[in-house]
Amino acid sequence: MMNGMLDRDTFEAIEAYVLGTMPALERERFEERLRTDADLLAEVEQQTEHIRAVELGGLQRALKDIGRQQAAPAPGRSWMPYLKVAAAVAVVLCAALWYLNRPTTGERLYAAHYQPDPGLPVAMSATDDQAFQDAMVAYKLGDHAEAKAKWSTLLKDRPKSDTLRYYTAMAALGAGEFGAAIPVLDDVAHERTSPFASKAAWYLFLACTHEGDTARANAIHFDPADPHAAEAAAIQQAWR
Amino acid sequence: MEGVLSHTTTTAQWAEGLRRNDPKTLSSLYTRHFPTVCNYVQQNNGSEDDARDVFQESMVVLWLSVKEGRIVPEADPGGFIFRVAKNKWLDVLRSAAHRNMKVVQSERIVDPTDVVDADIEERIVRLRGVYDKLDDKCRQVLDQFYYERKDLATIATGMGVEEESIRTIKYRCMMKLRAFRKAIRGEEERQG
Repeated sequence: MMNGMLDRDTFEAIEAYVLGTMPALERERFEERLRTDADLLAEVEQQTEHIRAVELGGLQRALKDIGRQQAAPAPGRSWMPYLKVAAAVAVVLCAALWYLNRPTTGERLYAAHYQPDPGLPVAMSATDDQAFQDAMVAYKLGDHAEAKAKWSTLLKDRPKSDTLRYYTAMAALGAGEFGAAIPVLDDVAHERTSPFASKAAWYLFLACTHEGDTARANAIHFDPADPHAAEAAAIQQAWR
Repeated sequence: MEGVLSHTTTTAQWAEGLRRNDPKTLSSLYTRHFPTVCNYVQQNNGSEDDARDVFQESMVVLWLSVKEGRIVPEADPGGFIFRVAKNKWLDVLRSAAHRNMKVVQSERIVDPTDVVDADIEERIVRLRGVYDKLDDKCRQVLDQFYYERKDLATIATGMGVEEESIRTIKYRCMMKLRAFRKAIRGEEERQG
């Protein structure tokens, strides 16, 4: 077994060999190496087992899904009248609930214009700023609470990092924590030298819109050349 | 020998389908062979849910046996599944919760491959232990790549991220598993 990290190229070569996707000539060379390299052989055996374990997990999920589908009873004819009444009652209840909990103007505008920041590409290196990358992985997979918690921890050591502050605010917005996002966005938006300032201003504007704080939203000025200037004007128009 | 799947012409195709984790093959095997197992379990104090549990466990044994070349593809999967499922259900019946129940057929099916089965069961437990170490995010990506055999671009599109990010996430998840196994091995070496 190789000590330390396994580099990505070697990992992917072993993966291709195990999955049978390695081209024939490359495969021959790889098998030649396997005959003399005990460490590489041990890595192949371990990766084969790991892939098999993942496949087994997938198989169990698939079997459960098929079992659930087959076990679901088809509604019988005699239940139809009751189902119709139940459906009608459900529609009325849903309408009443929607009316009571209908979104505010700000919430509607926010939902119509909010597009989450896609985040930074996750870097190839497994050792370079691993904690930041782990949080970025969580953010990209929609686990905003976890991303925010991880970035917030890093912020304690690097409180001036605009990258950390901006993405902590993005994770807070993704988690629906507007109160937490607004002051952080306000800070970054006012740092005119930061590459995140313009985007932070836009998300601050949106967050204030969501919270119904039109005065604060209107106080944010967008340069006419800003890509969000027209959209912000349209939102302000909709408020009026 | 009778064809096993309605949409296949040779018996070896079901094995090839399992090897590829083909969802149609899995579904066909389920539809075709579950009723026999269900019937047996229900005749022996079990419910349909009990039958599903032992059937699904038996399918896992079949799948791994095929993947690791432990049974010949020409073998009848129905007979294999029934034998494994019956033995599993008899084990359940012998457990404390079922001691007082009447069993219609109690004899365990003895088969020369039982020794292989015992080995397979140990292997399944071991593999499940490995899978349990993965968090949900890793499972989400690795399942799609290794089980469903989707390419990186398709996974990336489905999850709304860049292909390069999925490639890195996959690598990092597998390295976490490797690091975990390495730590376990180190622990065993210190103890032993």
